[in-house]
Amino acid sequence: MTGFINWPHKPFAFVCRCFQRPFVSSSAQRRLSHSLILLLLLGPIHSVCAQKAPVSNSNASEISDQKLSDEDLQFFEKHVRPLLVDHCYECHSGNERSGGLSVESREQMIVGGDTGSALVVGQGNEGSLILQAVSYAHEHLRMPPKNRLTQQQVEILHQWVQRGAPDPRKAMELGNRPAPQTGMSLEDGKRFWSFQPLKLHTVPSAHLSGWVQSPIDAFILEKLKQQQLLPAPTADRPSLIRRVTLNLIGVPPTAEEVEQFVADQSPQSYSALVERLLASPQYGVRWGRHWLDVARYADSNGLDENLAYGNAWRYRDYVIQAFNSDKPFNRFIVEQVAGDLLPEANQETRTATGFLSLGAKVLAEPDMEKLVMDTIDEQIDSFGKSFLGLSLGCARCHDHKFDPITQRDYYALAAIFRGTRTFADERFGAIKYWHEHSFSSDTEREQLKSVDGEIAKAKQAAAGFKAEAVKKVRDSAREHAADYLMAAASLPVGASLTQVATIAKPLNLHPRILFHCRTHIDNQREAEFYQPWYRLQSQPEELGRYYRELFGRLDEALSLAQKSDPKVETLPDSALELARKERLDPAAFLAIPPQPEHAFDETTLAAYYQLMEKARLLESAAQDASGAMGVVDGTPTPEFRIHIRGSHLSLGEPVARAFPAVLRSSPVDPIFPEAGSGRMELAEWLAGTTNPLTARVIVNRVWGWHFGRPLVGTTENFGVLGETPSHPELLDWLARNFIQAGWSIKHLNRLILNSTVYQMSSAHPNSESAESIDPENRLLWKFPIHRMDAEQIRDSVLATSERMDWQIDGKSVPLRNRQFVFDHTSIDHTRYTSLRRAAYLPVIRNNLYTLFEQFDFPDPTMPTGHRHQTTVAPQSLLLMNNELVIDSAGQLAQLLISQHGQPTERLSELYLRLLARFPSDAEQEKCLRFIDESVSVGLLDSGRISPEVELQSWTLLVQALIATNDFLYVR
Amino acid sequence: MTKQNENHLDLQTRRQALKNSAVGFGQLAFAAMLGNQTLNARDQVQSPLAAKPAHFPARAKRIVFLFMKGGPSHVDTFDPKPLLDRDHGKPLPFALPRVVFAAQGNLLKSPWRFRQHGESGLPVSELFPHVAKHVDDLCILRSLHGTNPAHGGALLKLHTGSDQFVRPSMGAWVVYGLGTENENLPAFVTICPTLAHGGVNNWGSAFLPAYCQGTPIGNASQPSSKAQVKDIYNQRFGTALQRRQIDLIGQLNREQLSLQTSAVESAALLGRLESYELAFRMQASMPEAQDLSQESELTHELYGVDDPITANFGRQCLMARRFLERGVRFVQVTHSDSEVQWDQHSDLYHGHAKNSAEVDKPIAGLLADLKARGMLEDTLVLWGGEFGRTPTAQGSNGRDHNPHGFTMWMAGGGVKGGMAHGATDEYGYYATEDKMHVNDLHATLLHLLGLDHERLTFQYAGRDFRLTDVAGQVAKPILA
Repeated sequence: MTGFINWPHKPFAFVCRCFQRPFVSSSAQRRLSHSLILLLLLGPIHSVCAQKAPVSNSNASEISDQKLSDEDLQFFEKHVRPLLVDHCYECHSGNERSGGLSVESREQMIVGGDTGSALVVGQGNEGSLILQAVSYAHEHLRMPPKNRLTQQQVEILHQWVQRGAPDPRKAMELGNRPAPQTGMSLEDGKRFWSFQPLKLHTVPSAHLSGWVQSPIDAFILEKLKQQQLLPAPTADRPSLIRRVTLNLIGVPPTAEEVEQFVADQSPQSYSALVERLLASPQYGVRWGRHWLDVARYADSNGLDENLAYGNAWRYRDYVIQAFNSDKPFNRFIVEQVAGDLLPEANQETRTATGFLSLGAKVLAEPDMEKLVMDTIDEQIDSFGKSFLGLSLGCARCHDHKFDPITQRDYYALAAIFRGTRTFADERFGAIKYWHEHSFSSDTEREQLKSVDGEIAKAKQAAAGFKAEAVKKVRDSAREHAADYLMAAASLPVGASLTQVATIAKPLNLHPRILFHCRTHIDNQREAEFYQPWYRLQSQPEELGRYYRELFGRLDEALSLAQKSDPKVETLPDSALELARKERLDPAAFLAIPPQPEHAFDETTLAAYYQLMEKARLLESAAQDASGAMGVVDGTPTPEFRIHIRGSHLSLGEPVARAFPAVLRSSPVDPIFPEAGSGRMELAEWLAGTTNPLTARVIVNRVWGWHFGRPLVGTTENFGVLGETPSHPELLDWLARNFIQAGWSIKHLNRLILNSTVYQMSSAHPNSESAESIDPENRLLWKFPIHRMDAEQIRDSVLATSERMDWQIDGKSVPLRNRQFVFDHTSIDHTRYTSLRRAAYLPVIRNNLYTLFEQFDFPDPTMPTGHRHQTTVAPQSLLLMNNELVIDSAGQLAQLLISQHGQPTERLSELYLRLLARFPSDAEQEKCLRFIDESVSVGLLDSGRISPEVELQSWTLLVQALIATNDFLYVR
Repeated sequence: MTKQNENHLDLQTRRQALKNSAVGFGQLAFAAMLGNQTLNARDQVQSPLAAKPAHFPARAKRIVFLFMKGGPSHVDTFDPKPLLDRDHGKPLPFALPRVVFAAQGNLLKSPWRFRQHGESGLPVSELFPHVAKHVDDLCILRSLHGTNPAHGGALLKLHTGSDQFVRPSMGAWVVYGLGTENENLPAFVTICPTLAHGGVNNWGSAFLPAYCQGTPIGNASQPSSKAQVKDIYNQRFGTALQRRQIDLIGQLNREQLSLQTSAVESAALLGRLESYELAFRMQASMPEAQDLSQESELTHELYGVDDPITANFGRQCLMARRFLERGVRFVQVTHSDSEVQWDQHSDLYHGHAKNSAEVDKPIAGLLADLKARGMLEDTLVLWGGEFGRTPTAQGSNGRDHNPHGFTMWMAGGGVKGGMAHGATDEYGYYATEDKMHVNDLHATLLHLLGLDHERLTFQYAGRDFRLTDVAGQVAKPILA
């Protein structure tokens, strides 16, 4: 993996979750299909296997030599063997033992597969899984999967079992199942680097005159020296101030800041700069965003149904404030996992539990238990990746294939989360609501009632208007009922709407109603009402007269009947009654198209849309009930049954709440309170100083956020498949130092930023020879160049053109809580025109802001501690054509023109703002020539000298500079 | 020679080679590849989007997926059930699935008649009179199953193989496997896709390289006449000015390349330089591909572009043909609308009549046009929704979601025409014969494109991933 810019993968949408089971590329897999896997393909699960398929004594006694009668033998050979061979052997014989089951002998069937014995002799369906499977009685146990046996074949198997399952076949070796692939043993796990306690390393004594300013430098220099590498010299001051400013607050320094820093050669000027930036409230906006990547923060659900997380912003603001106030990281963890359970729990700590609630959920999942378990899985997986750098989710269905994490460990954690509530009791149709901590006052609740009323009223106004308009269309259609039938007679079946319209228009008929009318008549050939139509089809005039007369009589009869009884609805005359019904039936020949755009004329449609939009805007902007997404304790679950293959329909042995065994330093099992979920104990264990992973994982990420490359490239995987650290001693030294300094992120930042390593130049005098030794610069022989991330690009463009709105905190997603982002329509109402910092732009799952999407913003469904960087053509299209870029370039061009008369002065200002340096002579020459030529081209276009031409030329230049590597990359 | 020296030489030659090569659309800079493979790649300087050899001879070179959002009813279109007519109003004589989306009523007969068509005599309902004329080219798959009971889950399952995790879409896998034949256009486009129910994930590349992701052209809320790739036009400056601007960007970038950066770094910087050229070319090639005015009046008529009912989907289909013709590997066309699409929980009759009227002629037009141009032979056409509908009624006149048995059809590239494969039970609730799970559908699609679904893998986090996860079986009987 490269530490540098390009990595050929998009930011990962998810990290390995084995799901059903690990991929094995053998032809056997071809035959294993779908839901059967859930139940039958029980993999290697030692804890379960140990007590799996208990071969009962009575059953075991059946495993003995049978004496077969000729009749039995014949029955088997004639009926059973061919059936088994044709329908079962493909997956259950030889080396193919799907679900651990072989049907090659009676004995093997009795021993069974992973879900137990397949054959209980003498019993019917209830005893023998094989009979249950072929009967297709259970949705998740259906065999054979592709083609169901005939009733006759099922009967044969029943008879066979009834007979005592006579079978002449010799049992295969029972013990020769392919050895399951298992993860590391607990003992090996304890020896694996990341599970060992933090080590106390002495700082190396590596020396290079004046270079080693901090222990960090010594650790880095030591490794460089081992490879005969020399570090790059210190960066020039313009590069340095641009680098550290972009790093800490996410935008470049202003021209004044650059000039001041370059002029101030005092030894303290650099650390003073660092302090100024760490103290800026914009620091939290930038660095809080890093944690929001890890927390998979988003403002909408967006897995299946995309509902607004209208209160998620409180969690976002909590994170940003936590970074600004340098909240100790151990406290930060406890609040996010168990902030609702703290004795001093308050609005802030409850908001923090949003971490557990923010994930993407399948909200319309009709199987509630599955939804709950899938949500717990998401929580365990996010929790594992975010805090421990472990893919715990892999152990949902089986023991982890690589890491020393068992399915037992998983369900011990699942028990804790099962005792936690993430969902509310309310729902909207098929969509379940998540729980929120309410911060509403009585007054607010009162206010909300009237707000809700207003919204309901606005929606009602739109709906009422629509109903009224439909009624008008319908009434008019009914008045012309005979005309429709007559006009339809001049139309062939399947006429295009264009053809229909030419007939409909002169008669003042609605083309789409007529279009449908023709189809309906064709569909109702046999119906009595249309028999006259078919008879008179070739004489439309006659046909029209007939129906006009019929409807005339109908109207007369109706009004007559209603005179005596105004409530009367039906008529005694059957022909008239039929006509009445057909004309009235909204699904018959006068059906109105259900789509407003098809039913209404333009004016009506516009008026309707206006009312709809009014209601939508009212709702979008409406006040939410104050609250925060988050979890609370539910029913305590002291133990929880293992879900075989991860399916809640197949339960195994119960396990008690615990922490993953490999991470525990004490041999004593943790004791959990009976009355609670156990989340508080989990949080405290996580944030304790004996946990080997917590500090390593965060320190590693922080390193990566400074250098664009972490010490362990796989920030969310410190397991066997993860990378090993490039500098293990440094990693441990940093982790210990971090804990000793009270888990202070600002302290850690200060430490790293003041090192000589961080201040190295990104150019190396002997780069070719250095890269022949370490092409990826993993050892840090120079500062790694990296591209700005999405937020840095956007914010830098806005900041340098002075368009930025620096406001911090507050809701920014333009949707009411739980409002649909997209329902059945695909209308994207979310706007990204806000000029606030990018951290405050809406993060809509499934439909990220284009600029985010293109510039490698992480998938907000997965914890991401290190973003990848790609270079794709749509990025270029965006920089060339996007309004944000062009508008900002225009604004900056305007500033340059108004502030400086001379082109050279303008250019210097431009370079200072964008690149924190002055242009070289060559650059100046190219840029000024570009301006001259663009002005001439512009002149050709417009024909006269005007301020517009000048502005346009400078806009083009500013935009070009924004598009250069020099701007987009941090050196 | 030491290993380090070898690597150094490799870098030198690669750096040279980079200077002479072009960057494909949506492609990473070459440094991406270099960065990934610094220590093992030898000759990987070719663009990853370049057409790649298939695993075995392909029957189809490209694919167009006509996606009917919402779930068209199989028992009202391509899977007739006489027993439904007979037992109309009676309860379903066997058990419902454990989990159903909504309460189920009794059996509901189809409002439409089926007629036999073509030499094959395959039945098609009145909803698809134009498509019915092509029935001898259709391979009707009547035993699809295994999506999710809700729209979101089902869309994700159909498009990505997973309804629980974010995984690469099938189009992304195809591009990953085969590259493209026109590097000035995206390799995978999706015309007017729906943003609901999985949205971007349905054409995303997840952990596959970014160049594999689909490029959306408009979305389902926009008329296809207005559908565009984002940021494809510059509203302010003319082409001449922009050309000069890109030249300047190039000059300024080259100025900086002389700085002492590493090979990996300068390759990335070069890659970005190239990507402006490509973006500039795309600004021209994309609108050209979408420009339907270049097509004859007859062609417009064929696709129904001349009629308001069929115009919108007709344009999408015609655009699809133009993309296919230009070497785009995977084209998806989504039929959707501002209401509930094919999701007729109520008023099946009007909803389906309206939907089929909108798509029938355009689809038939596309089939006829592909055939006339000799493209149907190596273009695979796939039609269908995320699930079918229940034979039982929801309310009085609607049908609920049915992921347990439904119909899709294929035509062209490598499949037998005029055949029906698989079957549902006699009422159409469950797939029963030659069942085709979504994984099997994916395996078969890849097979037709010359890709072995078990060999088309991508390693991520220590594990090989496939479109078909651990399952999938090619439906061999349908192969021509």
